[in-house]
Amino acid sequence: MLNSNGHRRETTVSGVDPALKPRLRRRSTFEYFAWIICCLLAVGILFSVSTNPNFKWHVVARYFTHETIIRGLMLTIFLTVASMVFGTLLGLVLAIMRSSSIKPIAATAGVYITLFRGTPVLVQLIFWFNIAALYPNLTIGIPFTDISTAVDVNALIAPITAALIGLTLNEAAYMAEIIRGGFAAVGKGQIEAADSLGMSGAMKMRKVIIPQAMPSIIPATGNQVIGMFKETSLVSVLGVAELLQSAQLIYARTYETIPLLIVASLWYLVMTLLLSYPQAQLEKKYSRATSLLPRKAKKVVLTAPEGIAR
Amino acid sequence: MNTDGTIHARAIRKSFGPKLVLKDVDLDIASGEVCCIIGPSGSGKSTLLRCINGLETVDTGVLKVNGEDLGYYETETAYHRLNKKKIAEQRTRIGMVFQQFNLFPNMTAQENVMAGPVLVKGAEKGAAARQAHELLASVGLSGFGDYYPAQLSGGQQQRVAVARSLAMDPEIMLFDEPTSALDPEKVGEVLAVMKDLASKGMTMVVVTHEMGFAREVADSLIFMDEGCIVERGDAREILRNPKERRTQSFLEKVL
Ligand SMILES: Nc1ncnc2c1ncn2[C@@H]1O[C@H](COP(=O)(O)OP(=O)(O)O)[C@@H](O)[C@H]1O
Ligand SMILES: [Mg+2]
Repeated sequence: MLNSNGHRRETTVSGVDPALKPRLRRRSTFEYFAWIICCLLAVGILFSVSTNPNFKWHVVARYFTHETIIRGLMLTIFLTVASMVFGTLLGLVLAIMRSSSIKPIAATAGVYITLFRGTPVLVQLIFWFNIAALYPNLTIGIPFTDISTAVDVNALIAPITAALIGLTLNEAAYMAEIIRGGFAAVGKGQIEAADSLGMSGAMKMRKVIIPQAMPSIIPATGNQVIGMFKETSLVSVLGVAELLQSAQLIYARTYETIPLLIVASLWYLVMTLLLSYPQAQLEKKYSRATSLLPRKAKKVVLTAPEGIAR
Repeated sequence: MNTDGTIHARAIRKSFGPKLVLKDVDLDIASGEVCCIIGPSGSGKSTLLRCINGLETVDTGVLKVNGEDLGYYETETAYHRLNKKKIAEQRTRIGMVFQQFNLFPNMTAQENVMAGPVLVKGAEKGAAARQAHELLASVGLSGFGDYYPAQLSGGQQQRVAVARSLAMDPEIMLFDEPTSALDPEKVGEVLAVMKDLASKGMTMVVVTHEMGFAREVADSLIFMDEGCIVERGDAREILRNPKERRTQSFLEKVL
């Protein structure tokens, strides 16, 4: 029997053309098993969480938008944004210094990066908070004159200042490595082309290296923002009333520890999820092959007509 | 004597670590001369070109480009490195076209061509744009100014790269296998642009495997092998009747 295409059509018992039958994935027994276990676990946990009165979900609901919590959340957002902005700027400076051909400059950046990545942020935060113990008085003056003013460092380093300094300086070290990685991804040919035009170092950096390093730097920076958002909770040890500390302030009074920790966690989770979407978009955008094309390029037709060779 | 557009090298030596890549190379290229360099891969052709353009520094030897010591100034006892600004200035007078085009992907064709004049020479943007327009037209790419390199074919990209170098108004143009990365049917359009340039009296040093181009356009031909110049002379003469055995066997393989 031939169909219209001339192919032999084989009819089976079911009457379905074998050529049209779907090809099914093999599911192992283990897969079914995993499904069952996971469903049981999920149901169990949900049941326990919703029925255990100690979770006090009504307390969670009451404090979720409580003024203190919202103010803490705002401070957390501020700390994240501020330390990321300053950290990225300082990181850029460090990355440029690190790639310098002048040894002492490259070495200074190297030592900085090693120190700040090699010690825990928590330690660094406490260190900046207590910096007054090392330098009780900061004297700002004009050299070789008597004009100077002494500043009380203890007053200068308020908890929030220490928090900002600590987070910024630490983030700068990580951003420096990310940015330097981006620089390294720019092809050698690009630098040679710029050199052969006689471009100066600064011009090369601004017009050739940095624009081309962006596709690898931006997604990584997005990840750092998400990380920083949670890292800010560390500054609660300095008594800065960010999100976690705000929750702690409340439960120190009401002893509703777990519900308030849940409130803080939910906010961290919500913010992380909100940031994850643009982050995923960034990653997708910059991983595409066409990411070589700047955004402006989309305005131009993509299929170039052939040029007329003479 | 006007020395613009000349290259003079005597006993230049260049090594990478223990490997001697250029072994006492002598070279003299007159203003307006078109010189093709051929030779097996790894023989030091690119290295020689990169030395002439200052992308590599020679270890010893005399190297004068456009009549000036390249990258150094001479005293009684030694060559001292010039400052970066002076080196960059010398480079603006030497154009280089790479095998892989190396256009800036973040700039349009027009911006690529304008990059040198505007960013390096501080030219006024309007004038640079007009010049870029003319240059793109001269390489057969009018109307392609707004395209990004990724939107152009290899042949078109290489022609933009030639225009970008020309925008600096160089006295010498160096080409390192400019057509080797191209699809065969695109080779002609780039060679045509180079031929046009040669007819306008540009000093050109071209590393190439296109023997047809060498025969038709080159004044002189150099055959390099293992870091030495094995044979040099009139291009057509060498291609028709190579003297050295190594040149003969190389030409037999490629022709
Ligand atoms: N940057 C470098 N470092 C080490 N060795 C190199 C470098 N550049 C070139 N070489 C070596 O120098 C030799 C000549 O290379 P090259 O000038 O590129 O030859 P060609 O262009 O004739 O193929 C090769 O053996 C190559 O491995
Ligand atoms: Mg080569």
